[in-house]
Amino acid sequence: MFATGLMLEPFALLGIYLVFVAVVLNRPGTATGLSLACAVVPFQLVITTVTNALPSITTRRSIILNMTFNRVLIPIATTLTEVAVFGASFLLIALMMAIYGVGPTSSIAWLPIALAVNVILALGLAFPAALFGLWFRELRVFAISFIRTLFFLAPSLVPHSVTSGVAYNLLKLNPLTGLFDTYRDVFLYGRTPPAWALLYPAGFGLLLLAVTLPVYRREQHQFAKVVE
Amino acid sequence: MSATIEAQGLGIRFLFDRERRVITPILGKLRRRGSEAWGLHELNVEIRGGEGIALIGRSGSGKTTLLRAIAGVLVPDVGSVTVHGRVGSLLSVDAGVMSVLTGRENALLRAVLVGLPRAEARAALEEIRERTGLGAYFDRPVSSYSLGMRARLGFVVAERADPEILLLDEVHEALDHDFRRIVAECAHTILQSGGIVVAAGHDHEMLKRFCARALWLDRGSVRADGPFDEVRSAYLEAA
Repeated sequence: MFATGLMLEPFALLGIYLVFVAVVLNRPGTATGLSLACAVVPFQLVITTVTNALPSITTRRSIILNMTFNRVLIPIATTLTEVAVFGASFLLIALMMAIYGVGPTSSIAWLPIALAVNVILALGLAFPAALFGLWFRELRVFAISFIRTLFFLAPSLVPHSVTSGVAYNLLKLNPLTGLFDTYRDVFLYGRTPPAWALLYPAGFGLLLLAVTLPVYRREQHQFAKVVE
Repeated sequence: MSATIEAQGLGIRFLFDRERRVITPILGKLRRRGSEAWGLHELNVEIRGGEGIALIGRSGSGKTTLLRAIAGVLVPDVGSVTVHGRVGSLLSVDAGVMSVLTGRENALLRAVLVGLPRAEARAALEEIRERTGLGAYFDRPVSSYSLGMRARLGFVVAERADPEILLLDEVHEALDHDFRRIVAECAHTILQSGGIVVAAGHDHEMLKRFCARALWLDRGSVRADGPFDEVRSAYLEAA
């Protein structure tokens, strides 16, 4: 039941954003539903990973207090669990492609790389999220709000191409921007994603891993004291 | 089998913030640190193969902390603890099982985490179900289990890993009499094959069934170490 809810969530979000963009903002563009799906689907992996990584250490209290194992597995397991559910949300993109009559092109070959970047970014966020959720339990909800804010500070509701100048370049600083652009290039525009759109989010995820993994490895020896 | 446990100058320190919540050293740098307490302090003990040792003492004396340090769950802040031998443990009231998972799922997860290959862990599930005596409950969420049922599940999975060192906290006291007999039999088998059993608790009669030696802990340090009856008498007199 819970997993079904998670799988349906992107559909519900897309419906809400579609009404918002097409009716409230009155900005119907090219295949708006598919464009939105190209933001909602990759973001789904990021937000669900962060949401589940935040309490991931405390929810495993019983095994942390009972046995020794590599605690680095906790954020990895959280991310991989979400990847499994995430696969189902691609139905949304397939459905939107069918509705708007957009067929797959050779750019679909970039999908495995786009997926890898998506997973690297989610995994990179999972480690700091797990530590943050342990250190500042009362602030977990703000962490989720922060990630949701990043969604709206990226070209999620409208394509990146409709922005220009300073706004266009500032949006690039958000690692979600490259991810959303990549998905749109692969599924909507049928073209090769620019290198920055793949490298920046991947680099951001790897940088997060490089910074937080050593901290996490040091802190894992203290988990049993803190979760008690 | 040549299981040994040796602790030298072992110290486990707990840091607290100003609201008396336990914090990690890194978090202590981010927040204002309030105080610290030593769960174990300059503790020295050596346990050789074939020994059953009971940890006795008041609540908060360091029994659970020592068991967790031996299990590798807690890492020494000072000193060292050296353990030779495969460890099986049952160290908390919830017996290391996760409430949202079924007994079967928990058994598989724990078996994999203790090092059994996945295929072997899967193959062992029916045997584990039989041994726990949980029947149909084995496929129900652990949230519907009593403490005794959780302890049964946790113990059987720990036993399945063929431990050379068995660590038992007060959880075994939640077990019914039939299962206590099974625990005692398992402990004797381990001891006879040169392994070690370390058990903490307040049920001294239960501890005496497989512990010839006792360690009386007081405020994280060893107050007395010797034959079970002598140490227990000294503890009860002082208490």
